[in-house]
Amino acid sequence: MSTTVRAASAPAGATTRRRPRRHWSRYAYIAPAVVFVAATTLYPLYYNISLSLYDAPIQKFLAGTIEFVGLANYAEELRNPELWTGLRVSLIYTVATIALMYVIGLALAVFFNRKFVGRNAVRAAIFLPYILPSVVAANVWRWILDGSYGLVNHALMSVGIIDAPVFWLGRGNSALVAVVLATAWTMAPFAMLLLLAGLQNIPKGLYEAASLDGAGPGTRFRAITLPLLRPVSLVVALLGFIYTFRTFDTIFIMTKGGPGDATTVLPILAYNEAFVNFELGSGATINTLMLVIPTVLALFYFRATRKEDVL
Amino acid sequence: MRTRTVGLSVTGLIVAVVYLIPVYWMVATSLKETGDVFNSPPDLVPSPPTLAAYRDAVFGDSAVLQGIWSSTIITIPTLLLTLALAVPAAYGLARFSLRVNGVVMLLMLAAQMLPTISLALPMFAIFSDYGLVDTYAGLIIANTSLALPFAVVMLRPYMLAIPQDLMDAGLLDGCTGFRAFWKIGLPLVQPGLVMVATLTFVMTWGEFVFGLTLATSDAIQPITVVLNRFVAQFGTQWTNLMAVSTIIAIPIIVIFVLLQKYVVAGISEGGIKD
Repeated sequence: MSTTVRAASAPAGATTRRRPRRHWSRYAYIAPAVVFVAATTLYPLYYNISLSLYDAPIQKFLAGTIEFVGLANYAEELRNPELWTGLRVSLIYTVATIALMYVIGLALAVFFNRKFVGRNAVRAAIFLPYILPSVVAANVWRWILDGSYGLVNHALMSVGIIDAPVFWLGRGNSALVAVVLATAWTMAPFAMLLLLAGLQNIPKGLYEAASLDGAGPGTRFRAITLPLLRPVSLVVALLGFIYTFRTFDTIFIMTKGGPGDATTVLPILAYNEAFVNFELGSGATINTLMLVIPTVLALFYFRATRKEDVL
Repeated sequence: MRTRTVGLSVTGLIVAVVYLIPVYWMVATSLKETGDVFNSPPDLVPSPPTLAAYRDAVFGDSAVLQGIWSSTIITIPTLLLTLALAVPAAYGLARFSLRVNGVVMLLMLAAQMLPTISLALPMFAIFSDYGLVDTYAGLIIANTSLALPFAVVMLRPYMLAIPQDLMDAGLLDGCTGFRAFWKIGLPLVQPGLVMVATLTFVMTWGEFVFGLTLATSDAIQPITVVLNRFVAQFGTQWTNLMAVSTIIAIPIIVIFVLLQKYVVAGISEGGIKD
């Protein structure tokens, strides 16, 4: 405690005087982490791009006899219908997941924005799916959506929504629905948390004034909540896109990208090319192409948040 | 007024229960007899509950025990390495306005956004050159590459909250900069450290893509990859699959229950401000 008092009364120059001499040591705090991240993310990304310029089946790679082919892999992949199917599946999957996650997250956020006994405990409990290992979540959804004995079919049949069991993971469209459902379940708590913070920043006075003017809850939601949430919603959409577009685990466990190529999103396509077909060069090519959309969105995100003192 | 909040509390409880049905169903299924999962209508509560699936698929299966062991061997060093690198970095970024701060923060934020497979593929190639494929060291490095940027970004707001005066006072008292950071700064950011340690544990314990691509032999594959092998082998042995899933989830659930206030607070901080 005494140190605080003395600090307050110390001449300001005392600290500034000794700092310039030790300037290098300030970099010492951040240098190890920066070097590590550069070595384990920037270097692999560079390596990936250079690998994409080679014909590199794994035998040749391990033997050190890969051949430089320039942009041939890109020319080939861009003419490969699998890439375009993968892109389409990725976009449908991502957009559908964001939409569902946003709706669930917003409903939860609006609900938890009110004060009640036990609110924090309940809100925390809802957070569990977000931190559950994705392989576990995916496996549980595989079971819940099981055609013959799954809980979802049982529930839907007992209330009469469907007459016969749906083999969710057995057919293309329903498999896509299934992976969207599972992903949105794990991501919605994240959306909830961001939106909740957004809601808490809306001045309460606005609602009171609107009530006095005779606006009902529906009008207040449309006229105040939604417009004022727009900046946070944009963040949810951008981050949601970046984090959903890269999903691998959930889909791999639930469907392996199938049936057929119905759920083969780009990360699964890149994996298959590199680790199933053992074509490292074309796998790296898909990898590079796959990063284009998230990179553009990330730049957009950084621009949008820069104003709010991130950097 | 009072009755209204009681109504909200009850609704809140129902919302949480409905949202967590999949988690309940995982645990409930793991406690059933193999044949009971085929009952129609399904038994909502295992009756009688049995640990048979745990006996057979978890403790009776050396692959699962091996997987749990591997995951532990990967997770603990990753956790320590991440903290050792992230804590000083977050402190440095918060306390000194260096010219590189902006670029470093951008690097840390962007690194978190990369698809794991985009790193795993070139890492496989790079690690082949260095003999790191199929080693714990390789998996620890790879996992740290995911956790570290995240940890730096999440810790920075906590470091920013350390009162500057307090640190200056330490320096005046003759502490070196590092000693002031160690003795005065660190104790103040304890909640942040707990949060980051928890999330690093959660990320690494549940990590799958690196385990799948960089661990080629059964002997070092983490438990998540062992579960994937089980899915391929025993696609519909649901009691066993749910028992293994539950075992993977238990450390996460326990840690979450004990430390949730740190975690949720941390994610709101880091997630929103950064």
